[in-house]
Order: sequence, then structure tokens, then C-alpha cells
Amino acid sequence: MSDLLTRREPIPAEAFTGNQVVIRAAPVMARFSLRARNVADISAVLGVEAPAKIGATAHGVACLGPDEWMYRVAPDAPPPVASGTLVAVTDISHRNTAIVVEGPRAAEVLSAGCPLDLTKFDIGRATRTIFETVEIIVEREASDRFHVEVWRSFAPWLWTAITQVAAE
Amino acid sequence: MTSYRLPQGGRINRAAPQNFNFDGRSYQGFEGDTLASALLANGVQLFGRSFKYHRPRGLVGAGSEEPNALISVTRGPGRFTPNLRATSIEVYNGLMATSQNRWPSLRFDFGAINDRLGMFFPAGFYNKTFMWPRSFWEKLYEPAIRRMAGLGHPPTEDDPDHYSATYAHCDLLIIGAGPAGIDAALEAAGTKKRVILIDEQNEAGGGALADPCLWAWLERSLQALADAPNVTLLTRTTAFGYFHDNFIGAVERLTDHRAETDHGPREKLWRIRAGEVILAQGAIERPLVFDGNDTPGVMLASAAKTFAVRYGVAVGHSAAVMTSHDSGWRDAFLLKQSGVGIAAIIDVRSEVAIPLQDQAAALGIPVRLGQSIIGVTGRHAVQSIEIAANDGTGRTTLPCDAVLMAGGWTPTVHLWSHSKGSLDWREDIGAFVPARAAEKVRCVGACAGNWDFGSGLTIDVLPTPKDPRRIKAFVDFQNDVTAKDIRLAVQEGFRSIEHIKRYTTNGMATDQGKTSNLNGLQIASTALARPVPDIGLTTFRPPYTPQTFGALAGHAKGALFQPTRKTNIDSWAEENGAVFELVAQWRRARYFPKPGEDMHAAVNRECRAVRSSVGIFDASTLGKIEVVGPDAAEFLNRMYTNPWKSLEPGRCRYGLLLKEDGFITDDGVSARLAEDRFHLTTTTGGAARVLNMMEDYLQTEWPDLNVWLTSTTEHYAVIALQGPMARQLLEPLVEGIDLSASAFPHMAVREGTICGIPTRLFRVSFTGELGFEINIPSAYGRAVWERLMAEGQKFNITPYGTEAMHVLRAEKGFIIVGQDTDGTVTPFDAGLDWAVGKKKADFVGKRSLARPDLVASGRKQLVGLFTDDPNMVLEEGAQIVADPNQPVPMTMIGHVTSSYWSETLGRSIALALVAGGHDMMGQKIYVPMPDKTHVATVRSMTFYDAEGARLHV
Repeated sequence: MSDLLTRREPIPAEAFTGNQVVIRAAPVMARFSLRARNVADISAVLGVEAPAKIGATAHGVACLGPDEWMYRVAPDAPPPVASGTLVAVTDISHRNTAIVVEGPRAAEVLSAGCPLDLTKFDIGRATRTIFETVEIIVEREASDRFHVEVWRSFAPWLWTAITQVAAE
Repeated sequence: MTSYRLPQGGRINRAAPQNFNFDGRSYQGFEGDTLASALLANGVQLFGRSFKYHRPRGLVGAGSEEPNALISVTRGPGRFTPNLRATSIEVYNGLMATSQNRWPSLRFDFGAINDRLGMFFPAGFYNKTFMWPRSFWEKLYEPAIRRMAGLGHPPTEDDPDHYSATYAHCDLLIIGAGPAGIDAALEAAGTKKRVILIDEQNEAGGGALADPCLWAWLERSLQALADAPNVTLLTRTTAFGYFHDNFIGAVERLTDHRAETDHGPREKLWRIRAGEVILAQGAIERPLVFDGNDTPGVMLASAAKTFAVRYGVAVGHSAAVMTSHDSGWRDAFLLKQSGVGIAAIIDVRSEVAIPLQDQAAALGIPVRLGQSIIGVTGRHAVQSIEIAANDGTGRTTLPCDAVLMAGGWTPTVHLWSHSKGSLDWREDIGAFVPARAAEKVRCVGACAGNWDFGSGLTIDVLPTPKDPRRIKAFVDFQNDVTAKDIRLAVQEGFRSIEHIKRYTTNGMATDQGKTSNLNGLQIASTALARPVPDIGLTTFRPPYTPQTFGALAGHAKGALFQPTRKTNIDSWAEENGAVFELVAQWRRARYFPKPGEDMHAAVNRECRAVRSSVGIFDASTLGKIEVVGPDAAEFLNRMYTNPWKSLEPGRCRYGLLLKEDGFITDDGVSARLAEDRFHLTTTTGGAARVLNMMEDYLQTEWPDLNVWLTSTTEHYAVIALQGPMARQLLEPLVEGIDLSASAFPHMAVREGTICGIPTRLFRVSFTGELGFEINIPSAYGRAVWERLMAEGQKFNITPYGTEAMHVLRAEKGFIIVGQDTDGTVTPFDAGLDWAVGKKKADFVGKRSLARPDLVASGRKQLVGLFTDDPNMVLEEGAQIVADPNQPVPMTMIGHVTSSYWSETLGRSIALALVAGGHDMMGQKIYVPMPDKTHVATVRSMTFYDAEGARLHV
């Protein structure tokens, strides 16, 4: 990418520190939506074993639905090549941005607006859900750390909502 | 100390006096008091005026069932809450409370004239009287009635408080922390279950709080629950609704009981999903129905007991107990032992258990069996009562200053009913009790009808020798419904309790009939001579008690009301003075006024720039869908009206999307990037809807197709460069794309880079000028925009907004779906026949297009209009008639859909849907407006460059 042009992100670069929880923008990354009928086709395209179970994650790949995977990778990594296969690859790097919620109160803060039972949400699990009215993808990266993907234009609202809850 | 505070007892903290104000007077209570108990302690018995008759009213209950004592509380600017129950308001230093529904004062109220005229206000009075003339209802009757009959005033200022909300999950939710609820929680405390125990009061304990024998047990139990890591106890929390799949809404009150207001969120909405629910809501004592039973000082015996035992307050010095149930005797004994004088126990029953009679004798309480109160003297407080034997003989007067009613008990089945659990009638207790559960829920304790209050007689109205038509024996205190009203409803032909309820409004007040429903049923049952279960029970609906809108809204206020979506370029527009408009959830720049410019001047300038040089427009909000897979072309061919299989990679096509009914639902230009990859665009507002519609077809109709859809709306920032200089401006910035007209024709797409950023460059136009739409990864949107602005200075590049975009497209006759169409417009109606593939075997909506009414003549069709007066810009939405001289109401043949001043043409232009419009070219139509009737000529929708010469350059 051009060095001359700067990216402009929808949420602050500085972390927000609330009561027992830190909220910050996730690092810039490339994201691809991968669609296929068979997980084997996904694994073949990526060269890694993609998770077959909905909600599972492995090697940066999250299985979000019966025919949907999300692949996250460093921004300078080569994009997956799938031409001629039965895998649909779509670049969504800029569609989503992500917020990391970390700390002892991380699950509690997310539960303010997310109807999932996060105490039963295992580490390494990812799923599409909502925070109040806004669609998000939540991945539990550690017992006290969640990675929250959100569409770019909804990110400021989500940031405001989560930081407000964290400050309560 | 004041005369009604008992010298000892109660759970109040006598070391912590609290000063508060009621109706402008200062009072003192103690920490732990409610407004009700503190005012009672100060000798106040008058708490409010009734809804309809403005009768003086005092307390009936001691808890959230209280129907009378509705109070407004002010906590500073914007913090005004009407209709709170005095029995649920905790006293704190500085509490400012006022009574309601009275003028000029609580003791002297002009509205009380209604009471004197009460015989003229029977049930259904408003419906019967104010029927005619109809037009008087909204302007005269309703406002006048609303002023007279009412509750507190709604708040008028913005609420400065904020409200919290959360979801919560548990294996066991127990609602009600009385003895039964606490026992259930203790049982679960030793398990691995996650338990939430909630209670509406300020401390857990429920009925145990009014029974000193249980206080030691209560303290031990609450300690055990506090020590149990799996139990969460929420007090001051009302479970207001029980929804499907054990989903319970509850509101926790966090700050209203504190003197200071700046203490975090005011309330918290708990949205709880429970594996199992135990309802331990208890039971509410039933009032007795007799003449004068609404006089201040007439209250439930259990309430008087609670005031004495829990709050250390005597409701009177000499109270008469009117009972039909053993529990009234027991409460009388406890009151007497607490220091409250009991004038007599009057029991409508002739036979009462001997041990009760013995105990009364031992305590020196006079007893009158087989008798009833037939009248109450005193307007603002009880002075005496008249008693008669059940046969009407032996009328005597008994001085007293309080009357305590014990009419038996009603299990609180509200939440059970929300959950759709069924109810059975239990004749022995004269009440409905929970029967079959519809969710994983059970009831325990008094709300299941299991209590140890003894036995009693269920009676609809106490016997009286008086003429039943001349007495005021209240059933629903809050809505002023008397026994007479219910009998009248029956007399007038109502048979079902659902109808009787609506006719009399019994049980329809904010307390949802907590104290009135069963008495109302009994009276109707007697009047109809049918058993209660045959008449039925009305449905309870959420909320159990009234809740604030703030709590229900939770965080969704101010900046969090709903997301305002902004593009990457939005910040530039804001810094450069754009005026914005909302399009769906998006905020879009409408125009960019220069100093001194109004909207029209700015839009005219923006339009001129696009037509003469180059304009730049943020089109990022356009919906985008990536369609990928070997069957992508086949799929689009089935969705859109026009053929897609033949489209070559690198070319674009206008797609028209119909619903199954054949009407236009969306449109957009889409590009084929490769054999198996398309880049679709949709309207801004239609993005989500179109993706859902396409997914629906793909998953349910054509699951065999190998094609996948992904929303890429937000992956790309889109910059439209439109105008004759667009190519010259782009050329030095773009790499890897030959921009020449021959290599890159209109309606083509190329991939390359711009300013070093990868781009999907479309050569398309929504303005009729040479144009490009530059798709770049979103994060670089503003950076590329600023480079284009800098580079474009030599062409006087002009940013334009959605308003100029609308004008420019209208000059070309390009429709906007949703503005020029309204969900009933076919492609033929819109003049888009060319976009319908005549040879296609099928597409969504094709069969509907052949329906007789869709091919009939006289359908509304989209046409252009030129007003006779070129300076006249018609109003959008204005109705069109064929003959302005026809009598009113005229036959309307259509309406104006789009109307603008066209700077390019130097005159106004308009688009309109007109019946049979395509066959009316050159004919005059008329647009009657309040000032005058405008005349216009029907013409083609294309006002400018009909041959498209400006596009193909």
C-alpha cells in the first residue's frame, strides 16, 4: 500500500481503561470471507486445517456457519487464491474493524448488550451475535479477553456503548 | 415524637432521622421508612384524590399493590416522576413529594364536585354522553375530561439520568424473596446452579419483614445466601414481565432511594434468561366492599400490621377490624400487642374458631360476629363506623379512627399469567391458583395458594340494610369503580368479565386490579348467578408495576439512541461545512454551502460545476454485494429482470430488481469482474433488504446453485467523479488502467491503483456526464478524496451532495427507487421496459408482470412534467387532477414524485406518477395547491441530453 496515504480508522487509537477492563482497537489485519460447501475445500485453499464445527476457530480461521468461514491474517500476507475452486473468497479487510475487550470484567461488559451466555462461551469460540441492535462477531481469545468484530460504520457506536458500560 | 410512631419496634433506624417534604410541608421520618409509613407516623392519612370522583383517599396497602396513594417525586431539573406509590418510595433527606389529581390543594379540591354529582357518572358515562357531536370529542370533551380525570402530570423536561442494561443468565431464577423464595434459594445454595433471587422491596424478606418471630431466621438465611457464591440477590428489583422461553425482564432501581442524584445509572434493566423459574410472589389481601370503604383510614389489615411491625407506626389509636377471614383476627392480635388500640373485631361470619375468640377475649378486644360495617363517617379521616347485623338489624355506631379490612387473600399470579400458565379456581379460598405451566416454572408459597393464614368466607359485598343503589362501595379504588357500576354493566347486558372490565374499567388502572379483580369477579358472579370460573379472569399483561421509559430504553439514548453510520469521508465533509441528511442509518452530505449561500444557491453551483467541469461526490453508502461462484451469472439472471449471462467481464449493467409481485424494489449498476465474480450495487437504503432477499432465494429456492453472497458495502469507500473534466483529473493518479474512451467505455469496470491504492474503477454515471466511481478500501477513502481535491483544484473541482445528485439524475430522468416508485410501480410503469429481458424464461416477478391488472390500461405511469410557469417548482407529493373545475372531492390521477429547480435548464422540472401518463404526452394536467392551481404539460422524463452524447466521450 501507499506510504503516502494514511488510513483513517473509525475508533480511537488510544485504549480506554475502565473499571477492571481495557478496551482498545485491535491491530490492523486482513480479513477474508470464505464460503464453500465443504470444509476440505477451505483447508485446500488456505493450506491449513480449517475448523469444521460451527463456532470453532483454528489457524486464524473461524467457522461462522454451515458454509461460512472468516480468515484473519496479517495485512501484508498474500490473499488466499481460490480461482477455479468451489470456494468463494471475498476481501472484507476494511468492512470490519475490531475492538478488544480485556480484563476481569470483560465478559460482564459484553453481556450488557450481548444476549449470549458468555460464562458458557469457551476460549477459542467465535460466533456472530449482536450487541443491542448492532451485529458483531465475538471471539473469546482468553478467559478474560474477547475480540469483537464489527462493521466499520457501526464501530463508533459500539465503542461508545462498550466504553460507557465499562465506565459504569 | 409524633403521635402515631410507636415507642418501639420496627426495622427503621431511629438513630437516622430523615427530613422530607410533602405538599410543601416538612416532615421527619427514619431511615427504613417509606413515604407512606413516615407520613402515617406524622398523622397524615390523606394521600390523594381519586381518578374520577376526586374523592379523598388514603392508603389501602403497604406494598406495590397500593391503588390510592399515587405521588409525584421531584429530584431536581428533569428528574420528575409521577404516579409513584407512596408505599414504595423510600424516605431520604430532602425527598420532595407531592400529591396528585387535586386543585388547588389536597384537602380542598374543586374537582370533588364530581363526587357530589357522582350519580350522573355511572359506568360507561363518557361513552354514552360524549358521543355527539363527534367533532367535539378531540377539541372539547377529551381535553376537558383529561384535565379533570387523571393521574400525575407527565414530565416536561429532558431526563438527565442515564440508565443501564444487561443480559443475565442463570439456572434458577427466583422471583420474590419472602420466606418461600428464600427457602427455595437456600435449597439451591448448595448446588452448582447459578441462582438469581430478586425482590421488589428495599430489603429481602417479603412477609417475614412484618413478622418479628421470623427476623432471626431471616437474618441467618440472608447471611447464608450472601455466603453462597452461586446466589445473586437483587433487591429494589421488579420482575415486570415474563416472556417466551423463560426470558424475564426486571428493573433494578439504583439511585431513587438516595439523597444525592449523581450516583451512576438511575436504573438497570435486567434481561434474564433462566433455566428454571420459581415464582414466590406471595399473595395480596383482599379489601371488603362496603359503603365508605374508600375513606382515608380504611385499609387492609395486613397493611396496618406491616406499618406497625415493620415501620413502628400505628395506623390509628383505635382501629376497627372488619374481617371475613381468620387472618384479620391474627393481625388484630399482633397490632394490639404492638400497641395499636383495637376498637373491635367485626366478622361477617357468625361462627369463628373458638381459640381466636378466646385470644380476643384475653387481649380485651370486643368481638362482633355475624355483623358488618354498613357506613363510615368522616371525609378526610375515619371518625366512626356504623355496624349492623347481617339481617340489617341492630344498627349501632362505633367511634374509631381506622378501619382494617381482611377479606381473604389473592395469590399474585401476574407473572405466571404472563408465562401463559393456566389457572384453576379454588372454591375453598375463593381465588385462582396456578395450574399447568407453559414454561419451566413453578409457584411456591402464597402465590400458589399455600398459606397458613387460616380460613375465611369469600363474600362479594358486605350485607347492608341500605339501598344498594345509593351507596358507594368501591371495588377498584384507582379507577373509581363501585359495586353498583359492575351490577349496572351486568344489567346492561355484559356477560364476560372481559367486557365488564372494559365497560366499567375495573382492573384497568395502573395497578392492574391487584386489589380489585377478584372482588369485581365475585360481584359479577353474584349478579349473573353464575360461578366465577364461568365468567373468567382477565389477562394480566406486563408490566407488573409501571416502569420508567428510561429503564426500558436502557443505554439507547443520546449518542447511543441508534447508530449514525458515517463514511470514511464524512469527517472531511463535516470539516468543510457540509449540511447533512439522514438516509436510512447513514449520515450523508446534502450540500456544501459556501459563506452566504442558501441551499438553492449551493445546489445550483454544485450542479453547474458537474455539468461544466467536474464534481466529486461521496457515494460510499451505496450498497455493495460481492457475488462469487461458478453460478454467479445464472443467479443474477434469475434475480434481475435483464439478462446477465452474456455480460462480459469488465462490463457493467443496470440491474432492476422486482419482488414476486412484479413491482420494483431496488436497482443499481453492477459489474462483472470475472467469469465467477460480480460486484453488485444497491440503493443506500436497500442494501440490507436486497442481500436478505437474495440470500432467501438462494437458500430456499435455488440451494443447488454454487454461488455465495457477501456484503462489501463497508469494505469500499466510493468516490464519484462526474463531469467533462473527470478523465483529465484522474489520468495522472491512476496506474494500470487505460482511461481512454476506446479502452474504457461507458459502463465498464477496471482494476488498478489510484494514488497507489488498489481500486475497482467503474466508468458509470448517475448524472449524465462522463463519470467514474472509484472504489477503494474504506480506510483510505478520505486520503484519496483529499488527493483528488488537491489535484482537482485546476479544474475547480466541486464537492456536491445528495441534493445536487438528485437534481442531476432527475434532469436525465433516472429514477430513485422509493421516491419515484412506491412499491406499486412496475418496470413498464416506470418507463424501464428496456431493462426487462423479453426473451428470458424467468426472473423474480416475471409471472406477476403478466397479471391482468399489471397490464391493464390506466395504471399510474412515470412521466416528466414541465410547469407552464418555468419558475414554479411543484411540491413533491402534490396531487394531480385532469380537470381543475370538477367538484370537490376531485378525482386524483396521480402525484408529483420528484420536483426541482434545474439550473442546467434554467427552469423547473418534475417527475410524476400519472394514471395513463405514457399516453398523455403533451397534454395539460393540473396541480391544485392552497394558493392556486398550477398547470403543467406531460412530457418525456429525460429533460437533458436525451441522446446521451455527454456520456460517451
